[in-house]
Amino acid sequence: MQVHDYVTDGLNRYITIQQQLYQHSVPLAYPTAIMLDAAATQLVNSHQVQSLPQALSAGGGMFSRLSREDRLQTLYTLENLGIDLYLLPPPFQNNGGMVKHVIDALNRFSMFGYYSEWPGYGSSRLHPPNDRRLEFFPPGWQQAGYPGVSLGYRDFRGFLFTMAEVRI
Amino acid sequence: MKTDPDVIVIGAGGGGPVIAKELGEMGIQVLVLEAGPWYGNKNWPEPNEYRGKAKESSDPMDLDGALYRKHLTRLENDMNDLITGKLRWGPADRRKSPWFRNIPDRAVLWQSAGIGGTTLHYYSNSPRAFPEAIDNKWPISYNELIPYYEKVEATLPVEFAPTTTKEALFYYGAERAGFKQNRTLDVTSIGYRPQPNAILPPNENLMSPDYSMEEISHMEGCTLSGHCGQGCPYGPSYEKMAKRSTNVSYVPLAMKTGNVSFRPNTFVTKVLTEYDAVGNLQTSGVQIRDTWTGETEELFAKVVVMAAGCIETPRLWLNSGLPDNPWVGRGLTNHYMNSVTGTFDEETLLNIVGSSATNPFIGHTSAARLDYPGLGMIETLGESPGLSAQTLFGFSQYGYNRLDSNDYDLWEQRGRLTGAELENAMENYGRTLTLLIVTGDEVDYRNRVELDPHIKDEHGQVARVHYIPTQTSKKRREKLTQTATNILRQAGAKRVHNSDQPPNYYIHLQSTMRMGFVVNTNCEAYQVKRLFIGDNSVDYNSLGGPNPTITTQALATRTAKLLAEKYF
Repeated sequence: MQVHDYVTDGLNRYITIQQQLYQHSVPLAYPTAIMLDAAATQLVNSHQVQSLPQALSAGGGMFSRLSREDRLQTLYTLENLGIDLYLLPPPFQNNGGMVKHVIDALNRFSMFGYYSEWPGYGSSRLHPPNDRRLEFFPPGWQQAGYPGVSLGYRDFRGFLFTMAEVRI
Repeated sequence: MKTDPDVIVIGAGGGGPVIAKELGEMGIQVLVLEAGPWYGNKNWPEPNEYRGKAKESSDPMDLDGALYRKHLTRLENDMNDLITGKLRWGPADRRKSPWFRNIPDRAVLWQSAGIGGTTLHYYSNSPRAFPEAIDNKWPISYNELIPYYEKVEATLPVEFAPTTTKEALFYYGAERAGFKQNRTLDVTSIGYRPQPNAILPPNENLMSPDYSMEEISHMEGCTLSGHCGQGCPYGPSYEKMAKRSTNVSYVPLAMKTGNVSFRPNTFVTKVLTEYDAVGNLQTSGVQIRDTWTGETEELFAKVVVMAAGCIETPRLWLNSGLPDNPWVGRGLTNHYMNSVTGTFDEETLLNIVGSSATNPFIGHTSAARLDYPGLGMIETLGESPGLSAQTLFGFSQYGYNRLDSNDYDLWEQRGRLTGAELENAMENYGRTLTLLIVTGDEVDYRNRVELDPHIKDEHGQVARVHYIPTQTSKKRREKLTQTATNILRQAGAKRVHNSDQPPNYYIHLQSTMRMGFVVNTNCEAYQVKRLFIGDNSVDYNSLGGPNPTITTQALATRTAKLLAEKYF
C-alpha cells in the first residue's frame, strides 16, 4: 500500500523553521534512514543483532539487512537511546529528544497511514492535500470493518438519564 | 473610518468566543483574532486554497451550513492528520508545514488552528470540575463557578449522552464491577454516568425508517455518526450543527450581537504595552501577522484577552517580553492518560447487548464515564480505525509487545503491536471497547512550556514543552488503569490490551498561567493591567481529572463580566 511513501512524505513536511529571510524546511526522511542504518550497524558490530547476507530492498543499507525482529530491536534500542548518539547524522546527533520523537513517529505514521483513508487516494495520494481524491475504498478500513464516512446510525437505545431529571 | 475595537481577543478556541459573545451582549466592541482558517464561512469558500477577499467577518449571514459540510469531509486523514489535516496546528495553506513545537519525546500534541480551535475536534465532553479539586485549593470556590457552569450548559447546550451499544456494554461492566450510577452534575463520589456532552440530543425521527439518513442528517440533533473528532457538519444550518464546537455555538451568537468581528488567518506575534499616567504597565494592543501574506500590522484596544491555549499563551507572553514571572509557562498539567482496549467475542456481546459487535465508531465518540474523585476518571472512546490504530497500538512508553518479557498478568498485551498482532487487533476492531484513563494530575513547577532558545519560526521563538508526571500522578494512573481493566473483564472482554501511552500525550493541557500566580481571581495579569487570560492556562490545577473545556468556558463567562465591570 506504499505506506512508506506516507511516512517519508510526513517526515519531510514535518518541520519548517525560520532562518533569516528564509522559511527553511528541514526534511527528516533521509537523515532518519541514515540513523536507522547507523544504529543497525552499531548493533551488528556489537553482536546484538545479526545481519542477513542480502538487503531486503534494493540499495538498502544495514537496517534493511536485518530480520523483522531485529529491526524492531533496533527501533527499541534507538528510542531508549542505547546507542552512541555521536555517530548519528544531524539533526539527530547528540539529540536524544529528537531521536525518541522521530522513532515514535515512525510507528504512529505507519499505522495512521495504513489504517486511515490515505491509501485510498490511489494515484493522487502524494498530491498536495487539497488535490487528493478517493479512488477506492481504503483497504485498512475494509480490514477493520469500518464502513467509512457515515451520515449516521440508527442505534439509539435511549438515555440513562437527562439534564431535566438531574436538575430537579 | 474604522475605529479600534474596545477589546481584542487572541484565539477563537474554547474560551475566546465565549468572552466575545458575553462582551458583545453588553454592547462592547470586540475583535477576535484567530491563527487558523474558518470553515463554513462564505467569505472563504476554499479556506485552504485561497486567502479570500475579506479579512474579517461579523455578519451571521456569512455562515453557511452546506459549505461547512463540504469543508468537513469526515475523513480521518483529511481532517485529523497532524501534519496536513484540516484541523492541524498550522496555517490554512496545507502545502505548508504545520507550526513546529519542540516536543522532544515520544509525544503527540493536539492543538488545532481555526475558528473553533481545539473544540473543532474535541468530543464535546463537558463535565464540571470535581468540587473537591476546587474548594480550598483554588483561590475561588466551586460555588462561585456554579452559576457560570449553568449559563454555559444552557447556551451550548449540554445534555447527557444517549446510549448506543458501546455505552450499554460499559454500563453493564461498571455495574458488575460494583460501581453505582451517579445522577449528578456535581461529582462528590465515585460512580458512572453518561457524559454531559455539548451535543444536541438525537432527532426524534432517527430510528424511524420513514426518513432517510440523508434527510435526518439535515435535521436538528445528533445522528450518532461517530464523527465528533472530525468535526460534525450534521444539522439544518451552521449554528444548529449537532456538535457544539464554539464555532457553531458561541461564534454565531457573538456575531448576532452586532458588536463582534472575527478575523481568521491572523497570528498574534506580540502583545503591546505602554505605561499609564501613574507608571503602571498596561496593554495597548497587539502585533499580528497575516498567515497568507506575511504582512504585519498593529491593532490597538483598551483591553486584550489572551485565549490562545496552554502552549501559545505563555509562548506569546514570553515572546512579547512581558514582565518576568517565575510561573509563566510553569505548572503544566496533562491528565497523564492511558487507554485499555477489550476485545469481546460475538456470543458474549449477543448475550449482553443483543448485538454481535460493539461497532465503536457508532454514537458519540466519548459518551460514558466513570468519575473517580481522588484519582481522576475513565471514559469510553470510539475513534475511527486510523486514529485508533495510531494511539492504541502505535503509541507507547512500554515498547513493543512482541519484544517484551510478559512481566505482568493483568493484560494479554501491552505496548505497540506489530505484524500479525496488529492485523489481528484491527480485524477485531468492530468488537472492541476502549476506555481512556484520565488522571487527576498534580501540578509540578518543573513541568513547563518555555521558549526554545535555538529555534524560531515565522512568529518568533517556538515553544518547547517538558512534562514528566509526578509519583502521585503515576500511582493514580496505575490504579485507574487497573480499574478500567476490571470493568472490561466484568463486561466479558476476552482479551485486554494496555496501550501504556507515554506521558507526553498532550490533549488536556492546563495550568501554565495559573490563577493566583500569573493572573488574579479575575483572570487579569498581576503585572500587566488590562491584560486578561481566557483559556485552560489559568486553571489552578487539573480539576481532579474532568475534561477542562467547560470550566474554561465558565471562567471565560465570569471573566467577561468582571472585565466589563472594571473597564467599561
